[in-house]
Amino acid sequence: MALADNRLASDGRDRPTWFERVPPAYWVGGFLLLVMPSFASDFILFQIFGWTFILGIIALSLMFLAGYGGMVSLAQMTFAGCAGYMVAIFGTSAITDISLGWPWFVAIPLALIVAVLLGTLTGWLAVRTEGIYTIMITLAIAAAFFYFTRQNYVIFNGFSGFNGVLPPQLFGVDWRGSTAFYYLTLFWAALCYFAVLYISRAPFGLALQGIRDNQRRMSALGFNAIAHRVAAYAFAALLAGIGGILLTWQSAQISPGTAGIGAAIDILVVAVIGGLRHPIGAFIGAFIYVILKTFALDALEAIGLAGERFQLLIGLGFLLIVFWSPDGVLGLWARWRESRSRDPLLERGGERP
Amino acid sequence: MNAPARISRRLGASGTANALELRGVSKLFGALVALEDIDITVRPGERRAVLGSNGAGKTTLFNCITGDFRASAGSIRFFGEDISTFPPHERIRRGLRRTYQISLLFAGLSVLDNIYLACVGVSRRRFSFLRPRRDDSLMAAAGELVEMVHLDADRDTLVSNLSYGQQRQLEIAMALSGAPRFILFDEPAAGLSPSERGDLVEILNGLPAHMGYIIIEHDMDVALRVAESVTMMHNGRIFREGKPAEIEQDPEVQALYLGGGDG
Amino acid sequence: MRGVIDRHPFWSAVIFVVAAVLVWMIFAVWPDWLKDLIGRKKVFLNALFNGVTLGGLYFLVASGFTLIFGLMRNVNLAHGSLYLLGGYVGYVAAEVTGLWLLAFPVAFILVAAFGILLQFFVFRRMEGQDLRQTLVTIGISIVMADLMLWIWGGDFYNITPPEWLSGPMTTFFVTTVKRSGDLVFLKYPLVRIVIFAASVVVGIGMWLLLNRTRIGMLIRAGVDDRDMLSATGARIQLVFVGVFAFGAGLAGVAGVVGGTFQSLAPGEDVRFLLASLVVVIVGGMGSIPGAALGALIIGLAEQFGSVYFPTYAVVLTFLIMVAVLAFRPQGLMGRS
Ligand SMILES: Nc1ncnc2c1ncn2[C@@H]1O[C@H](COP(=O)(O)OP(=O)(O)OP(=O)(O)O)[C@@H](O)[C@H]1O
Ligand SMILES: [Mg+2]
Repeated sequence: MALADNRLASDGRDRPTWFERVPPAYWVGGFLLLVMPSFASDFILFQIFGWTFILGIIALSLMFLAGYGGMVSLAQMTFAGCAGYMVAIFGTSAITDISLGWPWFVAIPLALIVAVLLGTLTGWLAVRTEGIYTIMITLAIAAAFFYFTRQNYVIFNGFSGFNGVLPPQLFGVDWRGSTAFYYLTLFWAALCYFAVLYISRAPFGLALQGIRDNQRRMSALGFNAIAHRVAAYAFAALLAGIGGILLTWQSAQISPGTAGIGAAIDILVVAVIGGLRHPIGAFIGAFIYVILKTFALDALEAIGLAGERFQLLIGLGFLLIVFWSPDGVLGLWARWRESRSRDPLLERGGERP
Repeated sequence: MNAPARISRRLGASGTANALELRGVSKLFGALVALEDIDITVRPGERRAVLGSNGAGKTTLFNCITGDFRASAGSIRFFGEDISTFPPHERIRRGLRRTYQISLLFAGLSVLDNIYLACVGVSRRRFSFLRPRRDDSLMAAAGELVEMVHLDADRDTLVSNLSYGQQRQLEIAMALSGAPRFILFDEPAAGLSPSERGDLVEILNGLPAHMGYIIIEHDMDVALRVAESVTMMHNGRIFREGKPAEIEQDPEVQALYLGGGDG
Repeated sequence: MRGVIDRHPFWSAVIFVVAAVLVWMIFAVWPDWLKDLIGRKKVFLNALFNGVTLGGLYFLVASGFTLIFGLMRNVNLAHGSLYLLGGYVGYVAAEVTGLWLLAFPVAFILVAAFGILLQFFVFRRMEGQDLRQTLVTIGISIVMADLMLWIWGGDFYNITPPEWLSGPMTTFFVTTVKRSGDLVFLKYPLVRIVIFAASVVVGIGMWLLLNRTRIGMLIRAGVDDRDMLSATGARIQLVFVGVFAFGAGLAGVAGVVGGTFQSLAPGEDVRFLLASLVVVIVGGMGSIPGAALGALIIGLAEQFGSVYFPTYAVVLTFLIMVAVLAFRPQGLMGRS
């Protein structure tokens, strides 16, 4: 992956207004998402789209690290889970012995700070080694978090975790109502998505991609590669933390399994299926995953297999994708477009001179 | 504090120190001795040429100075400060710059973006989450550098679409970003056409007087036009040091150069 | 050895003192104050033995992992699945034939054959593409986990060792002194001791193979100098396949051992994958002695942890990993 289409400097001169630069597909997609509640059922809003946006945010945090930073972390779900636990602990839950019951404007920022700290620490450990080691170390950290939360009853309430973790009743709205929750998750997903897009072309994101492509060169330009990578972990943990809090609110509970090893791998699957090239891939992957997870049961039973074979389906799909299209669905899409635009008379169409 | 003020403060603090001072620097690659007991002193503003046959250790010398490789032994002082143990980025932030013999550029970025990245690297905005604004000072500085190396027509061209000579020029522009105090040029003229060489000599001679550099150059003609002193290296050691005229006349140098080098 | 002591006098002294205390604790009859402090000697000795034998099991799993990584830079995250597959296959073999010993060769051969398929269809096609290899092996382990769940269900399986191995063995370690003055000796399951001895033999055998034979020299040269591999050409491909098969087969054998020591169930694949990861991270990637040291440390930490601070036993192993990463990122025996 080379530094892709980052023409930021070109934006500097004679750039069109931001209004003109937004491609039409965004307008259509954005409009559809905004009016969705007027025709979609509660189940679709809350279960399908709410979950898609949440998973998408967490997968986006992995996309940021892996796509721009070249660091594949399996600990993103851990940061999400950590933030989820922290809102339960600092805020309110049904486990009144442990939950401190602080107001949301204290509990939520604190939860995010703790998640970012954990992310920074993980990053600090992981960036000391390279490439494939990163996956192993983050996987080990994810496992440690899982076992720790499962065995610790004083803070994390052990095996059963916390239930009754609800979003605050801000502005008198029940934010777990399907429409309100839909807009809540849509808002945060859009915010995270555009933030990642924006940062990818700001000095920080550019430098991160430069370090991914050629760390030695970046050091010779004055960049501290290690610090940049750790900072990328911190930022990704912030994104994951936002996703984690929303996830906790959606199911109103958090337990060790939420951030277990299976869940950590699922995030990787989601991000890879969607494609690590572009932030939108995270949400495409999340949508596919949620649809599969929701409807695979019926589909599998229809063809005579037990519904439990869902994992098999996901695993095979994942294998196919990494085997044939390392860039995920986005890669497939790009290839398809290229093949369409290929000039049948000149076999080598589609390539630029 | 603006950039010039910062430079002059730094210069003031170490005004009397040498720009670069290497003492007993050695570099081993396993059993191979690439550099052996190198002593070099370069005054501020001095322009030095390093000559030597292939494999003499010139590039390795640069790598040790910038910290790309950690020297196996010896000390390196930069304007009086011992930078031997500093990581590369710390050395760069102190005003050291380099170019690479084989261009290391970001192929997926435009010319201007490459230089912008170089400018950001030595500024405080390295970690900025904000995109450059229209009146961004670093972007303006990058634009000036583009003009300086005559790449204005290609400022938005992707680096992968540049000619070889243009890529070499871009390397130089990136080394001039920020406020360099001392620059290491690794064979900037190699592979350039005669007219491009002329441009290069012009750029080098047009640098401000306080900006010293070391240039590795096989071509004596180019070397003599841009440097006031010459260091000859051979087999990882310093072989001769002196004024260009002396070196040129030295019979041993001539024997070595006609015998072993390609220059 | 002398060199190490000269270079790190302080740490050598610390290790020496710890070793001396340990030896005393193992062989002496404990005075009352020590009993009051940390409980009965029998508990301690059992934890020690369990830790060491568990370390042997971890070594069997992790050495294959580290060997494959060291030579080919292939990260096989399906290694845990190979372990579990070996266990199930061995279970079936032992059930059908009634011969416990037969479980080992059957598991070894079948899992090694599976490993060859992996090498052929996955790793060779993705030479040098670390990330893709990792992702593909994750995918394979997801699929394998579900297939094994499909075939063998969610039950626990135990591979029962034969009569002559299943009883306890009286060791020569004194646990306590009876009032009558008789010495009480520790009883320990014979099968665990035998298996531990076998894994030590395997470890020494691997070490000898690597350090004393031509094949081993070829492999080590490949580990040290990647460029040499391409120079030596076709023969090395055979060595690759051989090493991969051996490493995978070892994981299969470990599965039988694990099924005898403990039990086989879904989820054990992840557990042993994690154990291997932690062991090689602690010991140093690609190093067989490192895997041995790491396996011993992790095995002991897990067992002593579960006896003396049960709540945080698992976390203890990860803390060790974090400490190693922080102070010696290349692992205890790894080269930087
Ligand atoms: N990373 C490295 N690892 C091992 N040996 C190296 C490395 N870099 C350089 N060398 C060796 O060190 C010696 C000096 O190399 P160096 O690149 O410094 O020579 P040079 O003077 O720059 O030559 P040239 O004129 O060809 O650029 C050579 O023998 C080279 O093979
Ligand atoms: Mg050179």
